[in-house]
Amino acid sequence: MKRILLKAVPVAIATAFLNAPAQAEIKVGVILSLTGPAASLGAPAKNTIDILPRKMGDEDVSYTVLDDASDPSAAVRAARKLVDEDKVDVIFGPSVTPTSLAVVEVAGQSGLPMISFAGSAAIASPVEGNKQWSYVLVAPERTMAHYVFDQMKKDGDKTLAFISFNDAFGDNITREFSAAAKEAGIEVVADERFNSKDTSVTAQALSAMSKNPDAILIGASGTPGVTPVIELRNAGYQGQIYLNQGMANPDVLRVGKDVLDGVMLSVSPVLVAEQLPADHPVKERATEYVTAYEGKYGEGSRSLFGATAWDAFLITEAAAARAKDSGAPGTPEFRKALSEQIQATNELVGAEAVFSMSPTNHNGTDLRAQTLVRIEGGKWTYVPQDQPSQ
Amino acid sequence: MNGMIAALLAQDALTSGAIYALLAISLVMVFSTTRILLIPQGEIVSLSALTLASLEAGHVPGTLWLLGLGGLVVAGLQALSGQIRGAVLWLAIPGAIIAATRLLAAHDLGAAGRMTLTLAICAPLSVIMYRLAFRPLARAPTLVLLIVAMAVHVLLTGFSLMVFGPEGFRTRPLLPGTITVAGMPLRLQALVIIGTAAVLLTAMALYFGRTLGGKALRATASNATGARLVGIRPEAAGEVAFLLAGLIGCISGMLISSMTTIYFDTGFMIGLKGFMAAIMAGLGSYPLAAAGAVLIGGIESYASFYASAFKDVIVFALIIPVLIWRNMIDSRNRDEEEE
Amino acid sequence: MKALAPFAAALCLAALPLVLPQYWLTLMNFTGLAAIVVLGLVLLTGVGGMTSFGQAAFVGISAYTTAWFTTQAGLSPWLTLPLSLAVTASAALLIGLLTLGLRGHYLPLSTLAWSMALFYLVGNLPQLGSHDGIGNLPPLSIAGHVLGGRAFTWLTWGAVGLAFLSARNLLDSRTGRALRALRGGRIMLQAFGADIRRLKLLVFVHAAVLAALSGWLYAHMMRFVSPTPFGISAGIDYLFMAVIGGAASLWGAIIGSGAVVVARDLLQDIVPGLTGATGATELLVFGLVVVLVLQRAPGGITGRFAPPPRLPRAALSHDATPLPPRPAMTAEPLLAAQGLTRRFGGLTAANDISLSVEKGRILGLIGPNGAGKSTVFDLLTGVTVPDAGRVLLAGQDITDSKQTAIARAGLARTFQHTRLRGDMTLLENVAIGAHARGGCGALASIFRRDRAEEARIFATARAQLQRLGLEARAEVLAGQLSQGERRTAEIARALASDPTVLLLDEPAAGLRHAEKQHLASLLHQLRAEGLAILIIEHDMRFLLDLVDRVVVLNFGQQIAEGTPDEVRANPAVQSAYLGEGEA
Repeated sequence: MKRILLKAVPVAIATAFLNAPAQAEIKVGVILSLTGPAASLGAPAKNTIDILPRKMGDEDVSYTVLDDASDPSAAVRAARKLVDEDKVDVIFGPSVTPTSLAVVEVAGQSGLPMISFAGSAAIASPVEGNKQWSYVLVAPERTMAHYVFDQMKKDGDKTLAFISFNDAFGDNITREFSAAAKEAGIEVVADERFNSKDTSVTAQALSAMSKNPDAILIGASGTPGVTPVIELRNAGYQGQIYLNQGMANPDVLRVGKDVLDGVMLSVSPVLVAEQLPADHPVKERATEYVTAYEGKYGEGSRSLFGATAWDAFLITEAAAARAKDSGAPGTPEFRKALSEQIQATNELVGAEAVFSMSPTNHNGTDLRAQTLVRIEGGKWTYVPQDQPSQ
Repeated sequence: MNGMIAALLAQDALTSGAIYALLAISLVMVFSTTRILLIPQGEIVSLSALTLASLEAGHVPGTLWLLGLGGLVVAGLQALSGQIRGAVLWLAIPGAIIAATRLLAAHDLGAAGRMTLTLAICAPLSVIMYRLAFRPLARAPTLVLLIVAMAVHVLLTGFSLMVFGPEGFRTRPLLPGTITVAGMPLRLQALVIIGTAAVLLTAMALYFGRTLGGKALRATASNATGARLVGIRPEAAGEVAFLLAGLIGCISGMLISSMTTIYFDTGFMIGLKGFMAAIMAGLGSYPLAAAGAVLIGGIESYASFYASAFKDVIVFALIIPVLIWRNMIDSRNRDEEEE
Repeated sequence: MKALAPFAAALCLAALPLVLPQYWLTLMNFTGLAAIVVLGLVLLTGVGGMTSFGQAAFVGISAYTTAWFTTQAGLSPWLTLPLSLAVTASAALLIGLLTLGLRGHYLPLSTLAWSMALFYLVGNLPQLGSHDGIGNLPPLSIAGHVLGGRAFTWLTWGAVGLAFLSARNLLDSRTGRALRALRGGRIMLQAFGADIRRLKLLVFVHAAVLAALSGWLYAHMMRFVSPTPFGISAGIDYLFMAVIGGAASLWGAIIGSGAVVVARDLLQDIVPGLTGATGATELLVFGLVVVLVLQRAPGGITGRFAPPPRLPRAALSHDATPLPPRPAMTAEPLLAAQGLTRRFGGLTAANDISLSVEKGRILGLIGPNGAGKSTVFDLLTGVTVPDAGRVLLAGQDITDSKQTAIARAGLARTFQHTRLRGDMTLLENVAIGAHARGGCGALASIFRRDRAEEARIFATARAQLQRLGLEARAEVLAGQLSQGERRTAEIARALASDPTVLLLDEPAAGLRHAEKQHLASLLHQLRAEGLAILIIEHDMRFLLDLVDRVVVLNFGQQIAEGTPDEVRANPAVQSAYLGEGEA
């Protein structure tokens, strides 16, 4: 019902013989992995879409959410539906890299901006061809690596092993962290892979441990990432274990219980919004988001993939306000202007990061987009950092 | 690789193998009585694991919906065909289970209580599945049965996702901790799994090899008309097979839920591996199915250790020579062709 | 009128993109892409009985081939089309050679196994973009004009049309008849010289090539490839489409693809509106719908609403002459067995059997049940290989020859339990007998270069039916024939192969008296034409009146041989057989 109502109400208003020229609404199409292997990434984003404001400035805004089953073909079908049937002005999502890369082609060909929720920088760089229309909001793995390697250096850790998903998500983390490790002088000694629904990760844990790494990074998303941690601790691994921001959701804490104590991760500061120092640039916006989300879904329910959807809204809202002079929502002119204005986003503070885009940078995050968090007593705990300037 | 790691891997292989073996023997049993390749058996495993986890957390498990709705439809169909007693039973039993669960869910039942309740909720699901999805298709070609099995798998996966969400669950082990035997750490829960599997496997092999009831079940598969002549209704045999499969599936699910995290879609992969083991046994032999399952578990463990990225490539590629070998054995014993 | 229907349908389809809203074009594209794959699956699974979960993998091989060559080597997509088809066909050939000998459930499992292995392999090959895949594929364009929107839909459905024609033409041919008889008809087909292995491989490769065509189109429509769309769930989806449409029907392939694509889309629209939930509920409802559809219509949508399709046998001239007879063999005896022995475990089913049949002679083979008569037939026709002894066909040693080669050399047989295809017409069944006499291959059939030969094959079949008095029943489905008609049809099929030696396995069983008379006179006539005939029969009066000589078996032993009168007088035979057999 919700979706029909969301669409029906503004239409009814628009056609209700108003004296003023019919006000166009901004239509947002959302493609998420609500089923299939990546379903755990799509759910919090969907939850966030449900609590987004129904207005951008003065304009009404409607959301149409479609599931892509984590499959690029279905994502393209969904994108075409959003573009051709629902006539959306901007696409939020999809949730993962392969589906996003597929939808890039549709968004580009159709001339409307797409703000992906996936992690790979490759979705929006290099900014050319159809990628001129695509944006990625999640801080690149390099930023994560910065905080992780900083901590490793502080702890005197010199070798690192990966236990990652055998999929695009795991590929990205392993590839980017490995590249950054080289620059940071950290040696990667093992790259183990597992599938999210494997019933045993024992062999991978043993294999990684047999290389005696000082630290191990889990390149997985959601609760499946907990399994290797449990296996490592079972097998007696004593070194530092790092998660990644794909695992920043409450279910990870629930499944991992005390096994996760002492585990760290580099993650967007929104995860620990309340604990941030008062002068942290994103504290205010992050707290707003967390309050809104947990107000609806319960205390401790916050998750990173939802915050990305929130920021997509903030960025679009700001861009739309500047773009509406170029044309009414629903027109190609508006969409083009919208994309240009998103690209012109400057020092916009979101829940996850401070964004400054440019014609060559469609991500716009900097070191402020991450912070280090340790799990203590089943809670995310902020690890104070030297305040990054830029 | 040192001896310690080799031994740990062997333990891992045996544990996975034991679970695959339980899947495989259920599939062999169901296939040999009904010609159905029970792909959704994996979903029974994951549903029972999730049910147990949800009871452990003090929640009322969402599987009750499936039990209630399924029982209602079965009862309705029975009533329509004039079998009032059956209809009443199908209303009363699920009703009682649901009522009991709702009453007890909030209390701490202890491990035994939770497991009994899980068994009571999930094992009937298998029978409901047979009644609603497969029994009306008793005469359909094998291909149609296969596709319906796939569709039921999709349906149950969807249900599971809807009710339990995309994230995983784990339960507390029945026997936590490890013991050290000859300097080798053995996880007690792994021993529980391997032991239970061994007992169930032996029981199944004995039941089907030695007892009249078991032989009768087997007879229905090879010759439904003949079975009817000696007084066995194929439908009843199918029901018994599905009930047994449901029980085994539930036990498997409850066992592994403490060893690994279970998700709404975990069942498919476990089911697939069990399916491979069952087929390697020619869908007929229980000991061979168990051997095949342990072989798959073993390949998986050692491949994960040496080349984890290519683990599945190795597991699945190695199945093909095994199939070719099995096929050669079968062709030697069989000149008849199937229609 | 009826002949125009396909054209009208095609015309309507072609006009559709002009009137449909933009998004429906996308649905049409996806339907078309799926339909091309499913058409192959109908041939492979629905007709040929080989269930495959691996079609999505073939789509993927082709899509990746074109993706790699267009982005890495900079080739034009039009150049990579033949390349993609060739690479996929080679892969199919290789996989097929390895796995197509598998029977029962081994074959589907093998398709599952290799497609999964391939899926995980591609995801880990950096050369193929790992799990992220390959992007930036060029669009299809003609002279700088990009084929997007309607043009792409037309292109896709043009491809569907070609795929449909290729599948239909193949089915409506000599190869296609063998293919339609493949499921459960292995021994019969081999008895008429069809090479089963080759046939299976052929349909496997054909299905793979269709999948490849779809993959190539897919890659350039999406302009991005990654492993996921070619995984196991896509493979399962294609099977859903085939079975829902009606696994044995070519129209079913298109209807099933459309039904699944549209149903998925509608569910996405309707279900969230009803339940407020997205995603999971759609899966649940989709599964439920598939179960219900198949319970109401196990034969799929086409099976429910349309009669089983009859092939039109298009463009065949009716005044074609039957196929030319094979050159007469002169070496006598035409068929000879020397010391044939076959053991099954501890049981000797045939021990030291010797017999011979000359041109224009009928030899009877008799014995009580279990005497080893059928075993001797199997040994003579190459179904089983003897442990000792030799079989000579017109002086040629055929002991170790394959069934197929023996059939091609001029030996034909009928089966004790009639092996007719119930879903094919009588005429088509008889035409299978002439299989080895035709030479047109699958390609010739697909491009309709086989019509002259087809006409002659059917003329041959019709001539045999005429001779046996069944021409009025030519177009009846074999499943609807009476027992007597089925027996006669078996003989007609054997005769259609223009045999030199004819082996009849209880041809009179279940025939009425008048039918037996007719059969006897036919056999006399065949003898007069110079055929060598070996016959097993239980009706002694019928047999002994008919044959020139008799061989008597008991418990696998040859206990007597001679003229009917000699055998009648033989005390060993009387005690072993006639005493109890003929009261």
